[in-house]
Amino acid sequence: MPKETPHDAQPVIMPHTYDGIQEYDQSLPNWWLFTLFGSIAFAFLYWMACFVTETAADDRVALNIELDALEARQLAAVKNLDDGTLWKMSRNAQTVAEGQAIYNSLCFTCHAPNLAGMKGLGFRLNDDLWVHGNTPTAIFSGISEGIAFEGKPTGMASQKVLGTGRIAAVTAFLLSTQKEGAMKLIPRKDEPSQQSP
Amino acid sequence: MRPSPIRESVTTIGQDGTRPFLQPAITFGPWWKARRAVAWLLIVFFASLPWIEIEGFPAVFLDIEHRHFHLFGAMLGLSEVWLLFFVITGWVFLIYATTAFLGRIWCGWTCPQTVYLEHVFRVVDRLFEGDHVSRTKIDAQPWSEPSKLLRRGGRFFAYLFLCWAIAHIFLAYFISIPGLYPMITEAPLAHPAAFVAMAVATGGLFFNFWWFREQLCLIICPYGRLQSALIDDDSVIVGYDEKRGEPRGKAAPGIPAGDCVDCRRCVQVCPTGIDIRQGLQMECIACTACIDACDDVMTKLKRPTGLVRYASLRELNGGQTRILRPRTILYAAMLVIGLIVATGAVLRVQPAAFKLSRPPQTELYALSDNSVANVFRVKIQNKDDIPRRFFISAQSPSTKVTVLNQSVGMVIAPLTEITLPLTLLVDRTDYRGEFNFTVRLSSEDGQISLLQKAHFIGPDPRTLKK
Repeated sequence: MPKETPHDAQPVIMPHTYDGIQEYDQSLPNWWLFTLFGSIAFAFLYWMACFVTETAADDRVALNIELDALEARQLAAVKNLDDGTLWKMSRNAQTVAEGQAIYNSLCFTCHAPNLAGMKGLGFRLNDDLWVHGNTPTAIFSGISEGIAFEGKPTGMASQKVLGTGRIAAVTAFLLSTQKEGAMKLIPRKDEPSQQSP
Repeated sequence: MRPSPIRESVTTIGQDGTRPFLQPAITFGPWWKARRAVAWLLIVFFASLPWIEIEGFPAVFLDIEHRHFHLFGAMLGLSEVWLLFFVITGWVFLIYATTAFLGRIWCGWTCPQTVYLEHVFRVVDRLFEGDHVSRTKIDAQPWSEPSKLLRRGGRFFAYLFLCWAIAHIFLAYFISIPGLYPMITEAPLAHPAAFVAMAVATGGLFFNFWWFREQLCLIICPYGRLQSALIDDDSVIVGYDEKRGEPRGKAAPGIPAGDCVDCRRCVQVCPTGIDIRQGLQMECIACTACIDACDDVMTKLKRPTGLVRYASLRELNGGQTRILRPRTILYAAMLVIGLIVATGAVLRVQPAAFKLSRPPQTELYALSDNSVANVFRVKIQNKDDIPRRFFISAQSPSTKVTVLNQSVGMVIAPLTEITLPLTLLVDRTDYRGEFNFTVRLSSEDGQISLLQKAHFIGPDPRTLKK
């Protein structure tokens, strides 16, 4: 059994007294001091790396790199969507069905379930007359980015809601009601849904 | 050689700031056995929760990645994080109340630091390195001693394995067992974030249990510092019966000796290195080791036990412990009020949410031959783990308003969110200018009925030709 020796000495009392309070002269644990001096050293290195030499990666730079990469991926996905591809997608029953499902959950509120359009809300989509471009890619970008007419916004930008793949499916669904080469570009006032719903 | 503890200094902080490492003795007394039973119950509880499946999910699964929190069959999303307020305040009230009644019972019986240190890691210590005498001897040996290398090395790997296992169970709370298993079988680099979390947890646990130990309770944990404010003369603590024990040791001429024989067994068993006979101290984690130690000695000496026992300071001074006191009533009342409010809050949590906004890049209103239209964007979130069919309707006390094309409703998959446009029409003949209306989201099964207020924008009715 280990023999216990009395504590070496009572702690030293510091000479000062404040408001009648005295203080022992105790040591802090070394590990505690290590965390203190360690954090001071870290703060200095952090300051040097991030603000003086600027060798550390800036969060904003890292964020922009990621955003650029995301944009590049989206652009790459869109780039491959030329008119030919979208027409091809419009002949794929599965893609068209997916597009129709999305149309029936979102677009129908303004363009009507039968694509007939609604006066003042959404253009008719089941005829061969197109106001904002008569190409598949124009339809795609209309759904994706929305459409501005005479400086006034119209049409919903759905890129954030749907994403490229599902917008392509909706485009394919709309194209499935059209005939390749038969889409006519007309001025806005001639659009039938402007006259009657 | 361990110095004798004094009240003015912490035993495990040397005068030069070094750390005198304690090798406490152990008495396998009734309190220790009871604490071991509680500890193993808690360990089994902690380790089994991720394995128990309730309604298709682990009993507790804090799915940080998908921001879903599964708690015993209930599912909460990130939008319900405010309920944490009740968890935190409730826990504090509970700690306050139990401390006022029973002192630091949390530390001695249920704190994970004590539970794992006393009932897992010190068991490993005894297994590999023997009792406190043997361990102290090993401490003093040089590393060139083969038996030290073997025993301490064996203990090192046993610790590492245990910390690794605890870290995995801990990780399973956040990624579930089915999520964890492939991560264990695949290469560490396939899941770097999880691997780093596991490695850091293992390392932290190892450092804590191998070396840091009571320093956590003495210097990092704030609870010990709050003790002086939370405990009063009537709180039940682990205390030494000074009246009965003193004067300790051999009788002096003219003064009869007390019951304390000054065997120092209570000091040897103390995991934080204090002498309980110096009274209640900040370091005491109320672990009852000294009660077991003293009772053991008293039994051998055929004297009554309880020289060190659970008692309030008032009782130790010959008085009677008062249970009902302003602070116990106040803390208990706060606990009860908190529980009532928290229950109400939890019951009001709906398994769905919806939000109405005006879509960007659209006109405020549209006019057709016979109606005025407003288009909104609705975000509907099904927070439950079953699919539901939702319906949307709108009412206004002043104007007849119709929701376009929403009569069939929409089915939303579990744990998903959809955004859709909501077109509202008002007949020109009914239109009397802008008005407020309420949108109701209801579910087919009648479980959900949520309301949102909105404003219908339109032209001055006088400008509309009838």
